[in-house]
Amino acid sequence: MPLLSSPDVTVVVIVYNDAERLPNAVRSVLEQSLRGVEVVIVDDASTDSSAQVAEGFARAHPDRVRAIRLPENSGGCGRPRNVGIGHARGSYVMFLDSDDTLDRHACRNMVAAAEETGADLVSGRCVRVYSDTGDERSWYPSLYRRRAVLDDVLENPTLLYDTLSTNKCYRRDFLERANLSFVEGLHYEDLLFSAQAYVSARRIAIIPHRVYNWFVVQRGPNLSITNRRNELRGFADRLTIHRAIDEVFRKHDAVELKRRKDAKFLNHDLVLYLRELRSRDADYRREFLDLARAYLAELGEEAFDECKPLPAIGGLMVLHGDYDAALAAADYLPKKGVRPTLSTDLVERDGRVYWCDRHLDGERERRILDVTDLGVHSAPFNTFKLGGRVTEVSRRGSDLHVAGDAVNPLGRIGSKDLTGTLEFRDRQRKGRAFRVQARVGTDGRRIHWEATFPGERTIRPIGLLDQTFGLWLVLSAEGQNITVRLTSDVVDYEQAAIAVRPRLTRLAGDHMEFYVPESGELALRTVATGWPGRVTLPLLRKAATNGAGARVWGTLSRKERDLLTGLKSRKTKIAVYNSVLRRLPVRKGTVVFESHLGAQYSDNPKYIYEELARRGGGHKVIWSYKSSPKGFPKKAELVKRGSWAYYRALARAEYWVDNQGFPAGLIKPSGTTYIQTWHGSAFKQMGFDEPQVKAATRARHDRMRQMVGRFDHFVIRSEHDRRTLVKGLGVTADLLETGYPRNDPLVTGGDPKQLAALRRRLGLGDDRTVVLYAPTFRADEKGRPVKRFEIPFELERFVRELGRTHVLLIRAHYLSTVVVPPGVSHAVVDVGDVHDVSQLLLLSDVLVTDYSSLMFDYALLDRPIVFYTPDADTYVNQDRGAYFDLAEHAPGPIVTEEHELFATLRDTTREKDVELRRRFVERFGEYDTGTAAKTIVDRFFPGGRRG
Amino acid sequence: MAEHRDVFIVCNNFEELGGLQRWVHHIGRLFAERGHRVHLIGITHAERAHDYGSDLPYATTVLYERRPAAKWQPRGALDRLNVPAQVRMARRRAGMRRAAARLSEIFRTGGPGSVVIAAQVWAMEWVALADTRGMTVIGMSHESYAATRSSSRYERVKTYFSGVDSFLVLTQEDADAWAAAGMSAAGAMPNPLHVHPERISSLDEQVVVRLGRMSFEKGQDLLLEAWAKVAPRHPGWRLRLYGSGPDEAEIRALAGELGLTGSVEFPGPTDDLETALTGGSIFALSSREEGFPMSILEAMAYGLPTVAFDCAPGVRELITHDVDGLIVHPGNTVKFAASLERLMNDAGLRRSFGAAARASVTRFAPHTVVDQWERLFTLLER
Repeated sequence: MPLLSSPDVTVVVIVYNDAERLPNAVRSVLEQSLRGVEVVIVDDASTDSSAQVAEGFARAHPDRVRAIRLPENSGGCGRPRNVGIGHARGSYVMFLDSDDTLDRHACRNMVAAAEETGADLVSGRCVRVYSDTGDERSWYPSLYRRRAVLDDVLENPTLLYDTLSTNKCYRRDFLERANLSFVEGLHYEDLLFSAQAYVSARRIAIIPHRVYNWFVVQRGPNLSITNRRNELRGFADRLTIHRAIDEVFRKHDAVELKRRKDAKFLNHDLVLYLRELRSRDADYRREFLDLARAYLAELGEEAFDECKPLPAIGGLMVLHGDYDAALAAADYLPKKGVRPTLSTDLVERDGRVYWCDRHLDGERERRILDVTDLGVHSAPFNTFKLGGRVTEVSRRGSDLHVAGDAVNPLGRIGSKDLTGTLEFRDRQRKGRAFRVQARVGTDGRRIHWEATFPGERTIRPIGLLDQTFGLWLVLSAEGQNITVRLTSDVVDYEQAAIAVRPRLTRLAGDHMEFYVPESGELALRTVATGWPGRVTLPLLRKAATNGAGARVWGTLSRKERDLLTGLKSRKTKIAVYNSVLRRLPVRKGTVVFESHLGAQYSDNPKYIYEELARRGGGHKVIWSYKSSPKGFPKKAELVKRGSWAYYRALARAEYWVDNQGFPAGLIKPSGTTYIQTWHGSAFKQMGFDEPQVKAATRARHDRMRQMVGRFDHFVIRSEHDRRTLVKGLGVTADLLETGYPRNDPLVTGGDPKQLAALRRRLGLGDDRTVVLYAPTFRADEKGRPVKRFEIPFELERFVRELGRTHVLLIRAHYLSTVVVPPGVSHAVVDVGDVHDVSQLLLLSDVLVTDYSSLMFDYALLDRPIVFYTPDADTYVNQDRGAYFDLAEHAPGPIVTEEHELFATLRDTTREKDVELRRRFVERFGEYDTGTAAKTIVDRFFPGGRRG
Repeated sequence: MAEHRDVFIVCNNFEELGGLQRWVHHIGRLFAERGHRVHLIGITHAERAHDYGSDLPYATTVLYERRPAAKWQPRGALDRLNVPAQVRMARRRAGMRRAAARLSEIFRTGGPGSVVIAAQVWAMEWVALADTRGMTVIGMSHESYAATRSSSRYERVKTYFSGVDSFLVLTQEDADAWAAAGMSAAGAMPNPLHVHPERISSLDEQVVVRLGRMSFEKGQDLLLEAWAKVAPRHPGWRLRLYGSGPDEAEIRALAGELGLTGSVEFPGPTDDLETALTGGSIFALSSREEGFPMSILEAMAYGLPTVAFDCAPGVRELITHDVDGLIVHPGNTVKFAASLERLMNDAGLRRSFGAAARASVTRFAPHTVVDQWERLFTLLER
């Protein structure tokens, strides 16, 4: 049969010793929906039967397949692809590796896009398919969301991150015109090829369609080249390629592209390698970093400004030869979904926080190493991990002795009540660990710890099921847990270190040795050194990874994983709650309290609880907490929100009291009374009055109605609430016109002892005016709260102009956080971690807010309120919509400029404000008379001491 | 000159009064006018048939005389013992095999280059069973990606349309979303404009028009809410809500509650688009969900400026904000009211938007869209 006349596409399939998978690749081309596609198989002198397989295809499809064999192996992908291009006859050329496949419609989608747009180059979605699990992940999905046509790659420079040559379709005359070919004899030839293609193409089309399936084998001996990053030669190749790309960009005068590419090198390439260095030995590290350092010295300074902050630190520290600080930067930049680890000793200089105490002389270094904005100096300890080291592993008699240290960020962790636990965590099963007590102390700079324990009796693996354990230290300070990731420079890697007796007997191993997994922490794995394990363990492992054994083993472990995650899932718990737990009899006198979904011990539930506790009426009280029990009352039973105990408590409680909402989907038990106190009067439109709810589906409306329908009583503090909240949320419950319990102290003056204690804690010792700044949260385009609230005025300026006479307390909405640089701490205090905002209202002299419902509460105090609303236009008109015109009713001045704000704060007395505040309270808070908690407790929780 | 093909269009039913059916008959007629041999195939009859004329330029077939039983799946082991349901399902399967055989027979009448268009995913269940060897099979979804995504149809679309040669949705943005979701045969094909205005709106009538089924999805309640903010300031203006539907009583009651009985008219459903649209000078689309809103296309063809919620990519594809209409963030009735008011207050703006709208819809002129179809047929054969 003659060759296909003028095919649309030539797909160059390259193969080296891959006879097994080659047929899949070739078939994926032959089965293309576009018929005019030919295959050129180039065999890089394989020593297996690849050549015969290729010949077989050529014989079976003489019109569409040609097989070419190189005389000798070239050692890379460059040469065979070039030979393939030389034989191509199609108008377009694509490349396919023998272990991957094309999507059925790849060629048609590519050709259609090229013809429609006239592009030289079309790029489509590549999907990584993990062979062992079948999981799929798109390669740079953000690039492949929408179809796009670029006349210059700079229109979307992110494309530089997609350096694959295989998910693309090239006009053959473009390859000729631009003289494009692959460099030979180096790895990462794709990087150079794609850079050349991007810079030469007159037009680039991007399609969101999947075109290329990249099969990824994660483990196993036969790693593909891109997975074998642990080879220094590979890295040297990468650098050579990068230098060649730099040369190409220079030739094309592509200054801007070069800058973007340099930034990409820092953001991506370097970080990738730095992350893995924890699992490499010292020689490798030094050699690697020396290579990198030489290349970084060639980058322009702009690259460091262009890239993200932490990669800039990583790069700069490599450049300075400070490899500890560089590795620490990678520790703080883990893969997606993993909490960052802080493994550097931060320092504070002139009120700013720096990455380390070195290199701070240069202006550029100071700028890059300034990490104040990361907020580590004030971030809660559950948002990051600390980096620690094991510095000693030794025998003490029959016991094992392990000791080390860890960072203590800016001395935030005090030695008071500091305890620690050393944990050997099963790396396959979250939550399972062997624990021993550790002795812990701190000198303010670092944390020191040690533990002595009988190794064999402490670590009891089952065997086979649990072959690896990570080593972690968990500190406990002031009621919160702090996770420390351990690494080590001193342990003997891959030497039998700890004797163990698996429960499946010594057939399954007898020792554990240290190693470092890709995730970087120090870990132990089972080995066998003596009889019979030395013989049986390898046999058992082999049986579990081959043939039928692998299938049975795989199914069992999957089932186990599904079962474990299933048992812990919210869905399961809610189902068990609804079908079983809630049918249990209610326990009389039990009350479950929750405030802001467990985030705080605060608000109306707190004040009802305190009144209840004061009377001592014998109620059994349970408080729910979200992440840490710190700050919750010790006398109450505490349950973690979402735990089994939490659902059990809700199922049997006589009363539910909260201010926001217990988990959606829970059916309230028939004998339970739900008192919904809510958490503030409304300025912004709420519930069914919110645009995004109005536009939502009927199903969502039904779910909301179901949640609100559970309320039996709903607390209001004014008729305004009835017109807005009650209507907006669709409340049908009995309305308690008692006012807010949390506002009782605002009317009665509060507890002077509590206030004095809080003043002391916040360091408010002098007679400066206390300004409380309490803005509400902002939402992103999708309506989700933005985590980091950017303070819309300059703190340094506040300190300069008002710092002598005023103290600023910043209270972000509980859904967001702020960062206050330590340099302003004498005049600016982040009070985000004070649970109870009522206390903050009481001890401040003036409130600055924007649209927060605190305005309604603060007005009760008859103290000045300033409205600072620089974004009023977008906020009220575009994002949310309001129930009333703030300008018409505001009980204080509204300012939109920073200088106005400061001027107003200098003198807050305005004659008319007194009257405005009186009218505001009358209109928006007539039921707040200081007796709310009493009235509610009298009605629902009788008994105990009255009055 | 494109070659003449056999085009089989299979849909749930082609007799009902509805957007999909209007499209089926329209596209069938357009293909026939180009010389293609068209055959419309409905799986079932409609409960209430609409009169689409008797002199149709294409053949029609309905596979089932009586509607097949709804699909049933046992829930848990015990449910498998539900004998009557099992019998029903066995009958259903047998019925489907018979209907598919009939379909195969019809398909065999087609010559080379035949095309099967499964216009809906339910209809595709039968096409999938039929013999389509040697034919080009095209699947279609006439709603937005988001609407499918949030319904049970999503999984069905992914299952039944996974093997088609091309899977068409109404806008490029929806096609991209489907492609990103793994449907690599996804592409876009707009609906053709199916009205030929003899006269256009004078834009002087003080009337805001809305045509559409009265249902939660179409959001007449939101329009009334917006109207309540506007009406008191513009006593001369009327809101005319054409259509009927499940929520009609509720919507009429809401108009009363909002004190709008004086300014809102409910003329009921109409076939006479020309009178309805030339009788107004602003078109309002207040839907919560849409695919490719033909009513906007019609209004634009009659020279009306539109105010619409941004509820689907189709809205953005049709309207260019501030050029031929105003697009409002979904559910923001305050902004919707302000947008209506802006056009009510400014006859000049209405005229410039209206003219731009008429120019814009030429993109969807029948011959342009049919050309696009024929190019696709050719591409799929390459």
